[in-house]
Parts: sequence; C-alpha cells; structure tokens
Amino acid sequence: MASVASGRSLSRAIAPYAFVLPPVIYLGVFMFGPLGRQIWMSLTNTRIINPNAGRYIGLRNFERLFSDSGFYDSLRITALYAAASVVLGVMAGVISALAINQPFRGRAIVRAILLFGWAAPNVATSLIWLWMYNGQSGVFNDIAMALGLERINWLTSAEMALPSILIVTVWQTAPFVMLVILAALQSTPEEVKEAARIDGADRLNVFRNVTLPHILPSVQLVSLLTAVWAIRRFDIIYLLTGGGPLGSTSTLVVKIRQTAFENYELGMASAYGVIGLVLALLVAAVHFIVERKRAQWMAR
Amino acid sequence: MAFRLNSRRSFALAMLAVSGAAASGQIALAQSAKEPVTLVIANSQWVDALRGKNLWNALLKYKQVAPHVTLEQEAIPSSEFDNKMTTEFGAGLGPDIAMMQEGLFYSIADAGYLVDVSKAVEGVKNLNRTNDNGVINGKRVGVAWQRAVYALIYNKPLLDAAKVKPPSNLDELIAASKAVTAATGAIGFTSRHQIADFGGWFMDFQNWAYGYGVNWVDGKGKLTINTPQAIAAMAAFKKMYDAKIIPIGDTMPTQRTRFKESKVAFSIDNSGGTLNIASGGALAAKDLYAAPLPFEHPGAHQQIFVGVSTHSKKQKAAIEFLAWLVSPDGQQALRDASGPDALATDVPITEAFRAANPWAETFAELAVKSRSTLIPGREVDTGPIMRTVMEALEKVLVAGADPKIALAEAQKQADSKF
Repeated sequence: MASVASGRSLSRAIAPYAFVLPPVIYLGVFMFGPLGRQIWMSLTNTRIINPNAGRYIGLRNFERLFSDSGFYDSLRITALYAAASVVLGVMAGVISALAINQPFRGRAIVRAILLFGWAAPNVATSLIWLWMYNGQSGVFNDIAMALGLERINWLTSAEMALPSILIVTVWQTAPFVMLVILAALQSTPEEVKEAARIDGADRLNVFRNVTLPHILPSVQLVSLLTAVWAIRRFDIIYLLTGGGPLGSTSTLVVKIRQTAFENYELGMASAYGVIGLVLALLVAAVHFIVERKRAQWMAR
Repeated sequence: MAFRLNSRRSFALAMLAVSGAAASGQIALAQSAKEPVTLVIANSQWVDALRGKNLWNALLKYKQVAPHVTLEQEAIPSSEFDNKMTTEFGAGLGPDIAMMQEGLFYSIADAGYLVDVSKAVEGVKNLNRTNDNGVINGKRVGVAWQRAVYALIYNKPLLDAAKVKPPSNLDELIAASKAVTAATGAIGFTSRHQIADFGGWFMDFQNWAYGYGVNWVDGKGKLTINTPQAIAAMAAFKKMYDAKIIPIGDTMPTQRTRFKESKVAFSIDNSGGTLNIASGGALAAKDLYAAPLPFEHPGAHQQIFVGVSTHSKKQKAAIEFLAWLVSPDGQQALRDASGPDALATDVPITEAFRAANPWAETFAELAVKSRSTLIPGREVDTGPIMRTVMEALEKVLVAGADPKIALAEAQKQADSKF
C-alpha cells in the first residue's frame, strides 16, 4: 500500500513537469536555440552564403551599426510605424467593437465583413492594395481624379508611403482588436451598467466608469500584441514599398532582410535582429510593469 | 557489363561517348550509367508562362540520350531565387544543378559551392565568349545557359498610328513617347524606377550608365562612382522620369503585362523579357520590333550560368548532363526555346523564328558589344555597390537632389564600405 501511495505521490510530483516538457522542448528547439544562435552570429562576420564559416569579431557589428545613420533612421521609422499602428489600429478596433456590440439588423454580416481584413492572407492583401494604390490604374487615383485632384503617388513619394502602409496595417489589425474588445464588452456585467444608469449616469459616463475599466486589460493586451507585431511586420511593407522611397519605410525588419539577403551579411543582420529583439522585450516589459501596477492598485 | 563512372578513365570514356553521339547523332551516353538517377534543376525561368514550359521540354530531350536520368524542377520565382539559392547552398542543401544570374553565380562560386565542370566541355571546340566568365580563379565552374542582351523594344502599330519613328536618342524617345500617348492614349515608355525593384532596376540602369560611357571601376580597380559620365547618365534618367512618359509606381511584371496587352509604345528590356512579351499576349510577335538603345554607347546584358553544386551527391551525372547541354543536340534543343538569347555555342536562330519575330535580329546584333551588368573585379560586391548608386539615383528622382552631389555622397559611402 505504501509503495502504491509513494508511486502516486511521485507521479503527482512529476505530472506538472511532464505537462510542461513538450512546450519547453518546442520552445528550446524552435525559439531559444535559434535565438542563441542569432545572438552568437551577431558577434561574428558570418555571410549567408557560408553560414558555418563565420569568425568571432566581438562587438564590431554593433559598432558599425551604431555609427550608421541609416540604423537610427530605421529605428525612428520602426518606432513611428509601431506607435501609429497601435494608436490607429486599437482606436479603429475599439470603435468597431462598440458599434458592433449594439444590436441591429444584419449585425452578423457586418461583423463578417469587418473581419475580412484579419482573415485574408497578408501577401494577397498586399497585392490587392498594391493595385488599389497603383498610380496609373489604381482605384484611389481614379477617385482622386474624379474629385478633380492630381494623381497621388501613394507608394512612390517619401511623404505618402508610410501613411499608405499604415492604412493597410490598420485595415488588417483593427478586426483582431475588434474581436478581442467585443469579447470583453460582451462580458461586461449588464447589472452594473444598469445600476449606473439608475444612479443617473449618461451613456458617456457609463462608458467611462463601467465599460472602459472592464475592457482596459484587453485594450492593454491588444496594444502590446499590435506593437510587437508592428515591430516584426515585414510582408506588407516589403511588398508595397521594399523599404523605399528614400528609405521612408525602411523599418528594422526590412533593413535586416536587405543586410542578410542583398549584402549577404548574416552577422550584421543578426545584430539588427538583436536590436529588434531588445525593442520587442522593452515593449513587453512596459506592458508587464503597467499590468502589475494595475493589479496592485486593484488589490488595494 | 554495367558501365559505371568510377574513375577518371571511365569518365573520359563517357565524355568520348558524348562527343560520339553528338557527331553521329547516335545515343551513346545512355550506356554510361544505367542506375536510375534524379537530377534536381533549379531555375527561376520554370515559372515563366510558356517560356518555362518550352525550356523544360527542351531539357527533357536529354531523356532520349539518358533514359535512366529523371529531371526534376526546382521552380522559384525570380524575385525569390537568389535568397532561396543562397540559403539552400549555405545550409549544405539545394539542387544538383542551378541556372543562376551572373551575380548569384559569382557569390555561390566565391563560397566554393560549385564543382569544376571542365570535363563537361572537354573536346567542345565551339564554346563562345559567353562562357568566359564561367572560369573563376582558373577553374571552370559554370557554362553559359543564356545571355540576354538589352534593346529598345517598341509596338510598331502604335508607332505607326502616331506616325513616329524609332528614336535614336533620349530627346527623340521622350518626344516619340508623348506623340504615341497623344495619338493613341497608350503609355509612352516603361522602365523600372523604384528601389523596391532594386535587383532588376540596377541591371536595367546599367544600360543608361554604359550608354553614357560609365565604368564603375578604373584600371587599377578603384571604384569610380562620381564621374562626369555617371552624372550625365543620372541626369538623363531623371529627364526621362520627369517627362511623365512612364507609369510611376508600376512594377516590372505590371509593365510587361501592359506591353503584352498592347498598351505601351516603348520599353528597354532584355531578349528574355521580350520573348515573354511576344508570347501569348494581345500584341502579336510580328508587331513587336526592337532598335538599338537610344544612347551613344552599347548597353548591358544579363547572363545566366549553369553550375553543379558541391552538395550534390550526383555530380558525375550532373556533369554528364552539362556535357549534353553544350553538345549540338542540347544547344539546338535550347535554341528553339530561348528566342534570340546567346547560348553557350553559336547556334543561329531559325529562319522560321526570325520571320515570326522581327525583333529578334536586333538583339542578336547588339550582343556583339554588350557588357555584363557586373562590375569587373567586384563581381561579388556589385549588388551592394550598386545599391549605393541606386539610392543616390532615388534621391535624384524622388527628392530632386543634384546628381553631382548625390553621386559624390555615394562615392564616399562606397569608398568607406568596399
């Protein structure tokens, strides 16, 4: 009996580790392993054409990187793109969620239409937008001409390229934000709202004092995700502008691609990647600090 | 007794057999190795509409000589080809045989991933100069697949409708383009013009650069970016860009499709691209013509080499295949599918093709003086060096920078980087 009991307690002790083991192996093989390799490569002069022949060169890649004005430009563009993606994407998503949360006829159809941007593959989406932005035969310039305006160089002018990409980004990320916020909205307790209304709160006050605090954690989460995705986003930017014109859309990720696949400098590209990783970690750290402070405040 | 390629002697015999087959039309190579073998051949052209199929069918004729060999495609779009190849080769994987643009070919060769294929051309007396750059550091690591020279192509019915003649200089090109647009509504001229198209744009721009007499490197190997010739070439490109004759923002596939659909009067394109335009579109091949580039000096060509990977476990079979490819049978098979592109040996285009494609003759003539898009002695670094140049050109086009100042900055950057 004792041995059966000790066997049970042993298996109970092992069970959590057994459950955790598969994801640990997965993360180790597919995430931490490559990550470690990337960090190592950032300290070498590895070329993509011969990835096993890289030589250790210390921090020389980072020295080159920090002395290159193009790096600071790409950092600035990445930050601008990420911030605008978060602000506009989350705002559009929250507004859509609030609208779609109201009962009206055809709500399911509208919801499906709004979700299309999220469901469509990025490459297909980018190619469709590329055509719509086309200077000669794109629908946006057709509209501009119909309104008596000049043709607009949506993707070929340094002023318009980033805003044009942001429009596509928001069109694509807002539906996801909408879904998450909608779920949060639908779990908002109706009785609290009702109580607020009975106490004389108008719609704006109900939203500000009941709905908003309830959906705020979800807003924070989607903001974090949107920011990290924006820092990592490559396909839309690369397909629409390739980082141009005049580097106006050259984010860190586009720079990584250019360094690795056009200049063949895998070591240098890895150094760019490490900076990108630090950026993403910083965003995540800010989120967790804010989240912890909020939890502490709630616990008081 | 099975004849196996286990020694140099037997290999030499196999080569002799190839020569014999070539001379007599008999099939001898089939005897050299009877074990089934599959050769994977990577080429971006496999995905080209019509041309890809024709080229592949040409290679399948090898089956008649070597029935034990199965050829398998690795088809990758040209925009991704270099990335995929460098990644695969770098990882110790990849195809047995690859058809590579000259720039990629040099990089792969420089990394030591291409085997010596000199045995494939042993005894071949008629290799032409398109094969010269296949010898790197005294070792033949590639043979020519195709050389596609550039020319000014035009839609003759549109020119006739506007009553204009093929231009012989830039001002005439701009005037003729505007005249066609005014008369027919068609687009005047198409040209790559965006950094998003960098890989193709820098090669296209070499036509302008060479056309104005540019040499990106001097006799001592020093980079010469900000020369008066380069300034003139950039100013000329800017003049064309500002003349509102090209559809700003169009990618090259869109431009070619527009030309194919008879909506463009002029373009500067290579013979491979022109063959694509002439195949299966609204514009009949008989209405597509070509003229020399509207510049003072000759232009550029794109060259594709065939190489055998050091990672291949079937190198002997791959070299045998190459031996067939440069034999008269292989070259004739390739000629029929290659339009007017120059091949590894001088195989004239057929009368029937010439008659159906009036544009072809000009390309053949221009091939005599064309230059590689790569910078001599800087072949491996040509891409990064030209990025510096093209970014300067982008500043001139988009931000209105002075070509002289933009090129002076590019020279500084190039001097510090290369």
